[in-house]
Amino acid sequence: MELPLPELPAFDYLHASSAQHALEQLGGSIARTRVLSGGTDLFVQMRAGSIAPTELIDLKHIPGLATIEFDENSGLTIGAAATMNAVARDPEVQANYPLLVRALETVASYQLRNRATIGGNLCNASPAADSAPSLLVLGSRLTLESVGGQRELALNDFFKGPGETALTPGEILTKISLPLAPTGWKGRYLKLGRNTSGDLAIVGVAVLGFPDPEPTSGFRFRIALASVAPTPIRVADAEELLETTTLSDESIEQAARIAQDLARPISDARASAEYRRAMVFELTAWALKDVRQMLEEEA
Amino acid sequence: MTEVERTVSAPSPVGESVKRIDAFEKATGAAPFADDLQFGPNLLYGRVVRSPHPHARILSLDVSKAAALPGVRAVVTGDNCDARFGLYLRDRYIFCRDKVRFVGDPVVGVVAISETIAEQACRLVEVEYEVLDPVVDPVRALDPGAPLLHENLADYEVADFIDPKPGTNIANHFKVRKGNVASAWDECEVIVEREFRVPIIQHVPIEPHVAVAELDRSGRYTLWSSSQSPFAQRNLIAQALELSQSDIRVIAPYVGGGFGSKAGLSAEGTAVVMAMSVPGHPVKVRLTREEEFFCAFVRQGLVAKTRVGANAQGEILAMKTEYYWDAGAYTEYGVNIARAAGYSSTGPYRIPNVEADSYCVYTNHPVGGPMRGFGMPEIHWGIEQIMDIVAEELEMDKVEFRLKNVLHGGEQNVTGMVMHPIGLSECIEKAARAINWGVDEPPSSPYARRSKGIAVSWKAPAMPPNAGSSATVRMNEDATVTVAVGGQEIGQGTFTVMAQMVAGVLGIPVDWVQISTPVDTKYSPYEWQTVASRLTWSMGNAVVAAAQDARRQILELAAEHWNEDIEHLDLRDGQVISYRSEEVLPLQNLVVYGLPLPDDQGWRGGPILGQGSFMPGYVTSLDNETGQGTRAVVHYTTGCQAVDLEVDTRTGKVKIHRIASAFDVGKAINPEQVEAQMQGGVVQGASTALFEQLIRHNGVPQNASFTDYRIATSVDIPDEIIPIIVEVPQDDGPWGARGVGEHPMIPTAPAIANAVSAATGVRIFDLPISAEKIYLEMQKERSG
Repeated sequence: MELPLPELPAFDYLHASSAQHALEQLGGSIARTRVLSGGTDLFVQMRAGSIAPTELIDLKHIPGLATIEFDENSGLTIGAAATMNAVARDPEVQANYPLLVRALETVASYQLRNRATIGGNLCNASPAADSAPSLLVLGSRLTLESVGGQRELALNDFFKGPGETALTPGEILTKISLPLAPTGWKGRYLKLGRNTSGDLAIVGVAVLGFPDPEPTSGFRFRIALASVAPTPIRVADAEELLETTTLSDESIEQAARIAQDLARPISDARASAEYRRAMVFELTAWALKDVRQMLEEEA
Repeated sequence: MTEVERTVSAPSPVGESVKRIDAFEKATGAAPFADDLQFGPNLLYGRVVRSPHPHARILSLDVSKAAALPGVRAVVTGDNCDARFGLYLRDRYIFCRDKVRFVGDPVVGVVAISETIAEQACRLVEVEYEVLDPVVDPVRALDPGAPLLHENLADYEVADFIDPKPGTNIANHFKVRKGNVASAWDECEVIVEREFRVPIIQHVPIEPHVAVAELDRSGRYTLWSSSQSPFAQRNLIAQALELSQSDIRVIAPYVGGGFGSKAGLSAEGTAVVMAMSVPGHPVKVRLTREEEFFCAFVRQGLVAKTRVGANAQGEILAMKTEYYWDAGAYTEYGVNIARAAGYSSTGPYRIPNVEADSYCVYTNHPVGGPMRGFGMPEIHWGIEQIMDIVAEELEMDKVEFRLKNVLHGGEQNVTGMVMHPIGLSECIEKAARAINWGVDEPPSSPYARRSKGIAVSWKAPAMPPNAGSSATVRMNEDATVTVAVGGQEIGQGTFTVMAQMVAGVLGIPVDWVQISTPVDTKYSPYEWQTVASRLTWSMGNAVVAAAQDARRQILELAAEHWNEDIEHLDLRDGQVISYRSEEVLPLQNLVVYGLPLPDDQGWRGGPILGQGSFMPGYVTSLDNETGQGTRAVVHYTTGCQAVDLEVDTRTGKVKIHRIASAFDVGKAINPEQVEAQMQGGVVQGASTALFEQLIRHNGVPQNASFTDYRIATSVDIPDEIIPIIVEVPQDDGPWGARGVGEHPMIPTAPAIANAVSAATGVRIFDLPISAEKIYLEMQKERSG
């Protein structure tokens, strides 16, 4: 086994003054040049020797890249370099997207969240990324920029595998956009770690539900899972089931069973695949029941 | 000369919750730790090439590329230091010479001008290994065909109370044969037999190991290290380097958590050997957090096979135990942990027929060292669960079963030693009452099941029979006192407690007492080690003797001065007083300058310097075949913990509502510090119970970082910890005190396991009691 280095290896540091500046410097070589945001994953990987960039381009100081803006008509825009704590304590985020706040509060520790960014959390593309399930059920879209221009992508299409994303060489994530949350929505993020605080998720489940007269159940649901597949995933079949049948303990458990069947967890130091699968069922059912109760109380 | 104004009050501060004398320094960050010490531009850095294999023969070493790297000053190997060392069994080299025996075993040391260059050079070292089959299970290690770790075990020097078996992987075998176990089973109504497993865990001190060593021009070594045993380290380095103790000086500033990991010799040895090749340059070695997990010491794993029988009246009649300790590659303390486990194998119970075999077994795992509890948390994991199961089978209340069977003062224990007075029964009753034992209380949700569990424990200081302590008490002009000791402040509050004792003897306020820091083997009086929860008792006795020596000198001086009988004099409120003549003399000045003789005839007295030492003289050896003897240990500290918890059936997660922790400490010199030990012990005990294990795959650590080696955080600990102090005095303890530093984590894990079992019907036999295990076991129960 290779031990991590005693110190961070040497690298050239570039303070990017604009997105354009960063993109020009980034070129195409991911092996030699990496973008730096919070550094909470990047530095760990550099110490471990799993990546060895010789140049880091710091995005944190690019004007506008850390802003958080809420618009009553279009929703929320989060700059990719906004720290998790900045997002979590933003009054508009707290008022309109409390599900995201709850999810962010489960990430690592408060101190780490002073550095860690949402953009970094997504680009690191860990299957266990705690911000991902909530952002998925909230219908987030991403803005990716390169020297050639910018493009938009649904978060659902962004994750390609553990550590792999739709980002092409020379491209950076600049914005995360959340549409207005549906009227009357209730949500729940349940994260199971080995201990209560600071652990990576063994399983993470985000559930969002809102009233809608159109489907049979009178509600629409969105369900997303972390840590149980190569990427964070949506569970569309379970969502559909809950809309097309009458809402009951049975339908909820059936939906949870669908989520469990969709999960493809691995066994590792944190948990066995067997336990993870069981927890997908338990936590999905638990979150759905909580959301149902909240919706019914409201109704 | 200035007269110092002091407000004086206070009767004896002994028994008072005096504020920690190191609190301000530590809370403000001013307290210096080993890595804070400054060494100037001569400082060099050492890094170590470690074995990537659990078991291999070193065929060849090529360090030429490493040595040629610019910035590298020296490269050392096993050839630089060829004497074996070890506390009880000399089975190690500082750098490997023939074989490597665990992943992390030091092979080559590189000294360079920076840590980074040293590390780069380490990666240029070429080592050719012949990989050997590893031994990764302490039971299978005893199979006739198992690979041998130490082929030359017969040649190793060993202490007379340790019994290695050359030609096997057994580093020590300790036996108990008491009564007649074989015939006792027939009289039993209930017999329970179970196997328990305890994983390897690590101490995870907040401060990793730091050592700086320098060889000076006179050929002497100085070692600055984060150390809880400076004198033992000096001794071990002397062994390994074949030097005299006086050629080595160890300076030990404050320790950022030890829990046993900073006793004995680990990273410090590598620093000393590296320093050897660069005289005049201090060499700093710091373990990274990842190295800390497996390159210093770990707590040994354990496989325990236990059988217990009781009669219909609920009296335990017989107990048969086999312990297989997963000692790792070398033993340092492990052989003595196996011994302590053997002579404590019954737990604090009165059992007439006992058979125990405790094997300390070499494996290709990290080196097992001492850790808080020294084998006792590990053995009580099984003892206290099997006692619960016996009580269940007898359909007896678990508190009642324990009260019926635990030892009292005057009764013979497992080794034939007559127990001193103990307050264990009182501990059990009070702990049970504190959590409403026997009362069902509602869980917090319909998905949770709540119940209660209890466990008792005992532990004696495990040490050589003649482990000693010494102290000096020097009076200053202003009547303040400078106390020198060789025991170390490792967060347990010992300096405060020593100051209280001195103040108590000399009749002065605690804040007149200063402890000489850092501990420095050149200036501090000898102390065996800061381990075994022995300082309050052993170093306390030495400190009290030193203070009494000073007190006697002061009183004799005043008695002569007043021409009075010494019997009528006392020290109170910083003064010498006479109860007969009501004369009063302030201590200031007289304790250094003496007192004038009448009629200008000169002076008497002089600087007061008290000295004291302590060594128990009464510990006897135990019979090799039976483990029986007059007095195996100095004393046992006993206690009980009772747990109230609930389990979430959806996840298997445990939520601890409260833990009552009652221990018989003899006398609480500082009750708040005793309570702090109980709180800390419960937290560490709960953490090891629920989360901790160093996972290995074929001997290779898999989770050597905080990412995947989880410890309890502030939100994981019990909502309420109820400390209960019981005081049945120890006849040879200062004011009756005995140690309690390690004890409060001993019964925590089995008490939690017993409560989980009561709540869910599921019993976990292998630590930790993870949510996953509980959930999956409950699933098995549900599906029949």
